[in-house]
Amino acid sequence: MASTIVTFELGGREVEVLVRPMTTLQSVLRNQLGQTATKDGCRQGGCGSCTVLVDGEPMASCLLPIEDVAGRRVTTLESLTPAEGLHPVQQAFVDEYAFQCGYCTPGMVMLSKALLDHDPAPNDEAIGQALAGNLCRCTGYRPIVDAIRHASGAMSGHDTEPVR
Amino acid sequence: MTVQAYLLPRSLPEALGQLAQHGLDVLVMAGGTVAMPLINDGISLPSVVMGLRLAGLDGVERANGRLRIGATTTLTQLLQQNAVPVLREAARNTASWSIRNMGTVGGNLFTPPPGGDVAVALLALDASVTLSSSRSARVVSLADFYTGFMTNELAPDELLAELWVPISNEPTAFLKYGRKHANTPAVVTVAARVTWDGPTVADARIALGAAGPHPIRARDAERLLVGTDLGTDAIAAASAAAARECEPFTDAIATEWYRRRMVGLFVGRALQQLAPGAATEDR
Ligand SMILES: Cc1cc2nc3c(=O)[nH]c(=O)nc-3n(C[C@H](O)[C@H](O)[C@H](O)COP(=O)(O)OP(=O)(O)OC[C@H]3O[C@@H](n4cnc5c(N)ncnc54)[C@H](O)[C@@H]3O)c2cc1C
Ligand code: FES
Ligand code: FES
Repeated sequence: MASTIVTFELGGREVEVLVRPMTTLQSVLRNQLGQTATKDGCRQGGCGSCTVLVDGEPMASCLLPIEDVAGRRVTTLESLTPAEGLHPVQQAFVDEYAFQCGYCTPGMVMLSKALLDHDPAPNDEAIGQALAGNLCRCTGYRPIVDAIRHASGAMSGHDTEPVR
Repeated sequence: MTVQAYLLPRSLPEALGQLAQHGLDVLVMAGGTVAMPLINDGISLPSVVMGLRLAGLDGVERANGRLRIGATTTLTQLLQQNAVPVLREAARNTASWSIRNMGTVGGNLFTPPPGGDVAVALLALDASVTLSSSRSARVVSLADFYTGFMTNELAPDELLAELWVPISNEPTAFLKYGRKHANTPAVVTVAARVTWDGPTVADARIALGAAGPHPIRARDAERLLVGTDLGTDAIAAASAAAARECEPFTDAIATEWYRRRMVGLFVGRALQQLAPGAATEDR
């Protein structure tokens, strides 16, 4: 089985991996690069726990052959997290208690980041539509929606108090 | 994973050449949202896969009163066009954001029921598809494309290259009924369109999803509408006919019994949207 070398951008750095054909981006991140924030819930595109951004757009990394991201820009939770402190979306998730077990959180944060990039002040309908592919079995979603609204305020400079 | 080679052609001719060379051994994949889950689960065990993501087959443009949709146009790209509003409505009601960023319009035609929501809208719009091989290209109407459950007109050496949709000013109604508000498999999907000859219906299209082995036309119902004023009686008769002629199935989402009743209900609702005096929300 011929292995190939694939180069892509991860969190602002160029990375090069040696892979067997059609290894998924999810597998490369978790098993080769040690970036285990990206979760492995279903490998069916159905849970959203593996959501990463490719050129800024959310995608299911479990369905993406690594060859398809050659030369493209991949953003994971690890790339989002600053050296000191937290990204505003992460901080809002903490402030709103938007996770319990935390399994869905990396995917939720990546999706929320992408949503706020597209729509800095999304209403509940837009948030619900955006989140529809990401399952959370713990929170009942309300705190996640609140966190996104909170982050929206924080990132636009109109800092709002935590909703609760 | 047992894949020996993953081909990523950079153009349609290159893709068709590779297909001619590898023939039946190659699994074609566009967005991978249907094919990859099967590969990940070991249900599909291809040795050679050809990915179309880099083959330059995406893009939407107007051409001579028609919309040309490249086969690998993503569902998100379909949401961004304005020429045929109902295709936006169909894409919006398909899958989730991440999946729409990956899944393609062409791939939707190959998705087994209850999937194929965009295909249902395309069927009501009288869309056609270009099937290309290294030797030739032919255009087939979508109504003739499907031949059975997961079978179609595509030959082993052909790729779906592009789709053609006539652009018209008539509204097309699109209703998808699922068990959740978003990212939900269909209980039933209905797309309907009528053309008028003054106050009477000249022609009608009613397409159904999750109501047969592939997206189907409710032809008895369509015929019953011709010559009517699309009044209450005509709509009731057409809805009943659609419920009779469809071929729904039982799965984890709904029973055959329930789907048949929902076909009747949702065909009625779709036609009401098209009836004279209906609140005309231009779709
Ligand atoms: C979580 C989830 C939710 C979903 N929800 C919906 C939904 O609500 N409604 C719905 O309709 N679908 C849904 N789907 C199914 C799927 O995402 C869509 O149907 C999508 O449009 C499929 O396109 P694709 O490019 O990803 O297909 P692929 O997986 O790339 O293709 C599937 C097969 O089609 C054939 N094929 C594709 N393109 C070509 C071509 N150009 N030429 C020749 N053969 C080709 C190949 O045989 C290929 O193996 C869902 C999927 C997931 C994972
Ligand atoms: S692991 Fe990718 S969507 Fe569930
Ligand atoms: S916090 Fe447990 S799944 Fe969301």
